[in-house]
Amino acid sequence: MDSNTIRHLQESVALLPTGDLAAVDEFYKRLFELAPEVRQLFKGDMDLQAQKFSDTFAWVIEHLERPHELCQELRALGARHSGYNVRTDQYAPVGSALIWMFQRTLGDRFTPDMEEAWLEFYAFASFEMERGSRELGQPQPVHNPTLESLATGNSKR
Amino acid sequence: MSLTTAVVNHHLDQALSSPLFRKAERQSRFLRFVVDAALQSPPATIKEFDIAVAVYDRRADYDPRTDPIVRVEAARLRARLREYYEVTPPESVRIDIPKGQYVPQFIPVARGPAQAVSDLSILVPPFRSLSPDPGDQNFCDGLTEEVVYKLAQDHRIRVITQSAAAWLEQREKPKPRYLLEASVRRVDAQIRLTLHLMELTGGGATRFSNIYQATTNEIFATQERLADEIRRDLSAALHIDNAGSERVH
Repeated sequence: MDSNTIRHLQESVALLPTGDLAAVDEFYKRLFELAPEVRQLFKGDMDLQAQKFSDTFAWVIEHLERPHELCQELRALGARHSGYNVRTDQYAPVGSALIWMFQRTLGDRFTPDMEEAWLEFYAFASFEMERGSRELGQPQPVHNPTLESLATGNSKR
Repeated sequence: MSLTTAVVNHHLDQALSSPLFRKAERQSRFLRFVVDAALQSPPATIKEFDIAVAVYDRRADYDPRTDPIVRVEAARLRARLREYYEVTPPESVRIDIPKGQYVPQFIPVARGPAQAVSDLSILVPPFRSLSPDPGDQNFCDGLTEEVVYKLAQDHRIRVITQSAAAWLEQREKPKPRYLLEASVRRVDAQIRLTLHLMELTGGGATRFSNIYQATTNEIFATQERLADEIRRDLSAALHIDNAGSERVH
């Protein structure tokens, strides 16, 4: 992802209403419309699930310019999803629902450049999650806290 | 170099039988669909709607504006193809699906001997010291050696030092794909290392940048820790696994 992509991602998230989970509700509603079979994977409290999604989403946006930490977290997330029996093909409707969430919530303020940025980011993120799923059971690299790593750039795919 | 339908199909079969594609059934069908359409004579037009119906089982009332699944999957397919070619350099042809379209391009590959193993080649000139103390260049030289050593542990990365680059230039071997540049600033015991990985092919874009901080206590241990950190970050930026380990798909 280049700096323009990151800027479009950040700008689109900044336009989302803060303090409520309406956008996340739209995401899940759309996901279950597109892929009803996914619904059975969410057996817990959906309000709690929405809050977890929102928290993860916020963390990811904050770490867009820290590719090492972002990759590690996405791989760990992918490994956890592997435990929920999520298949590679099931990442597709998630990406579609994500774009829908922005379209539905932001309307015309969600520009084609923003959509392109989210398509690129989702390809990157879902691929790292797939990788984490494949690496499940292998020891994960641990960030060395003794060396402060200040990312100023980003990985480009 | 001309490409025949048979060559493209053979390459497609190879790619789709790889572990990376075997677990991605829909994206494999997506790739097969667009390649088949492009190989028709005359080539068939490929629209988002056609892919949605043929590959993603969407109905005739499918509206790409409200369900961007094809665009989502096209982006993921491009990423998967990139990953596939980084692990398995193509022998005769490379399939590319340019951004913004679904018609694949079949790019003939003229592969030189040095590219046979990997196209993850990185030129690593000596790291520069920006401090006034000339002795600091020794730390930089040692750190460069350590980073070269760590990167070379991964057999898929071709590490090229500055002296080797001069030799390759004379032999007209393929140019490295990446340049790794770093500079070090020191104030008392505090060290700040700024690192950039740039693509030498294409537009010369910066692929990865980072700043690392350390102290000059225990110089060898510091160099080793920094080199480990850099190697891990570059592996992540280049989307390859930990040094020395084969991918498990």
